[in-house]
Amino acid sequence: MKRKVKFDYARWIFVLPALLVVGILLVYPIFSSLYYSMTTKHLIKASYDFIGLENYKAVLSDSNFYKAFLTSILWTVGSLLGQLFIGFTAALAINRVKIGKGIYRTLMIIPWAFPSIVIALSWKWILNGVSGFLPNILVQLGISSELPQFLSDSSLVFLTLIFINVWFGAPMIMVNVLSALQTIPQDQYEAAQIDGASKFQQFWHITVPHIKVVVGLLVVLRTIWVFNNFDIIYLLTGGGPANATTTVPVYAYNMGWGTKLLGRSSAVTVLLLAFLLLVCLVYFTIIGKWEKEDK
Amino acid sequence: MTNQKEKIGNGLCHVYLIILSVIAFFPLVWVLLCSVKSSGELTANPTRFLPKHFTLENFTHVIQDLGFAGNISNSLIIAISTTCIAIVVSSMAAYGIVRFFPKLGSIMSKVLVATYMFPPILLAIPYSMVMAKLGFVNTRVGLVIVYLSFSVPYAVWMLVGFFKTVPLGIEEAARVDGANKLQTFVRIVLPLVMPGIVATAIYTFINAWNEFLYSLILINSTDKMTVSVALKSLQGSEILNWGDMMAASALVVVPSVIFFMFIQNKIAGGMTDGAVK
Repeated sequence: MKRKVKFDYARWIFVLPALLVVGILLVYPIFSSLYYSMTTKHLIKASYDFIGLENYKAVLSDSNFYKAFLTSILWTVGSLLGQLFIGFTAALAINRVKIGKGIYRTLMIIPWAFPSIVIALSWKWILNGVSGFLPNILVQLGISSELPQFLSDSSLVFLTLIFINVWFGAPMIMVNVLSALQTIPQDQYEAAQIDGASKFQQFWHITVPHIKVVVGLLVVLRTIWVFNNFDIIYLLTGGGPANATTTVPVYAYNMGWGTKLLGRSSAVTVLLLAFLLLVCLVYFTIIGKWEKEDK
Repeated sequence: MTNQKEKIGNGLCHVYLIILSVIAFFPLVWVLLCSVKSSGELTANPTRFLPKHFTLENFTHVIQDLGFAGNISNSLIIAISTTCIAIVVSSMAAYGIVRFFPKLGSIMSKVLVATYMFPPILLAIPYSMVMAKLGFVNTRVGLVIVYLSFSVPYAVWMLVGFFKTVPLGIEEAARVDGANKLQTFVRIVLPLVMPGIVATAIYTFINAWNEFLYSLILINSTDKMTVSVALKSLQGSEILNWGDMMAASALVVVPSVIFFMFIQNKIAGGMTDGAVK
């Protein structure tokens, strides 16, 4: 009996440190942010007051917040569609070709390893409006009459950011879809071929059902990541020109570290989290249904 | 006829893949090429692809005059400490979840997804306040603690997938031979999952090495800066020296890319396996 109690104790030892990390570094800050979102907490001033929902009122009546929110949605949807399309088609193409699989995969995975600051600096330099490689090439080839300002022209900047985010995120989709594709038993395709199924039918009835759950999960992870992403936009454009690329995280950062209103900035981030929770709830309901269908 | 169609299809696939590979690969090549060009050549018109005169002056300038070596050592210390702590904590937790809490396991993996949802910018606010209270602003210790917030959940998630592959039979045999839980874990299970642990450790290292936001918020003295914030501060100087920035970028990105090459085969399964099943 005594021995059994000791055993129970031992198994908790294994998970305790991780639980502590999650509790102290993730759960506590959430509540702390919730609390500060209802105060006048300032980045530098020490004293602050409890003001209830005033910060939320202020944020929700700021037209810039709605603009940032809309930008965030467009940035997430645009990036995600691009990443999925490129990642998916690249995985299918690699899965199909017989030579060079490994080389293509290795070359295409490179953007994934890039730190956000190097993503920003390398693309800023490639797209530089004076000496940049791409603008100069476009002029030399006669495609553009003057040097395009990819990062400061308000009609180009958003598409440029999405392109860069697709460049960075597509490899992750590609690698995961590819590994899911490789788990599909080949004899299913052979059987389908004998039954006279077309390539498209094979794709729709064998490939899609097999990788649906993995792709669904990837979409959840990427949505969260892109929606929360601060670095890429902050480092490439800082939210400009004229707030054209300010997403919610950049808006929250400027609120907290620019205007130094940490309390109000907390309110923005809490709203951000609430929205993400809602989106993920919808996603997981769908994926849960798919998983049940599989069984 | 079908054979010919097949061939054309394959050809098109190759064309598509070559285009994508070039786009994926190009920024790295361009950073490396520009890092060895002289500043005059960088802004020369028309833009030359290959450097006319190979020079290492950008690298020596960045490392010696701008103190980038110090930033590299800061980042190394922080990333290695984060990785070591995260891997010990996470492999224990992953094993515990797989072996002792099979029912709780699925809940825990949902909790991990939930933590992934927490916006870093939301966490940054309490972190900056708590670290200020504890006197950890501008210290490496502070950053290591904060980095555990994203590295531990992610590592647990990846490792659960790897630990699941260990057959229970092996452990039971060891248990019969009188080994306790910890001994079984250290002597029997860990060696079996070592390749997975190494891959997870490398991934954790890369993420800590690449991190930007927390280090921007918690570090503001130049000598304590990590590489990414130091690189960002180069951008803030009045005259932009792209040669310096490309050389410094090369120093930061090349280790990440090389490490990534080693783990590219392990990384795919690890990310989705841990959660899906």
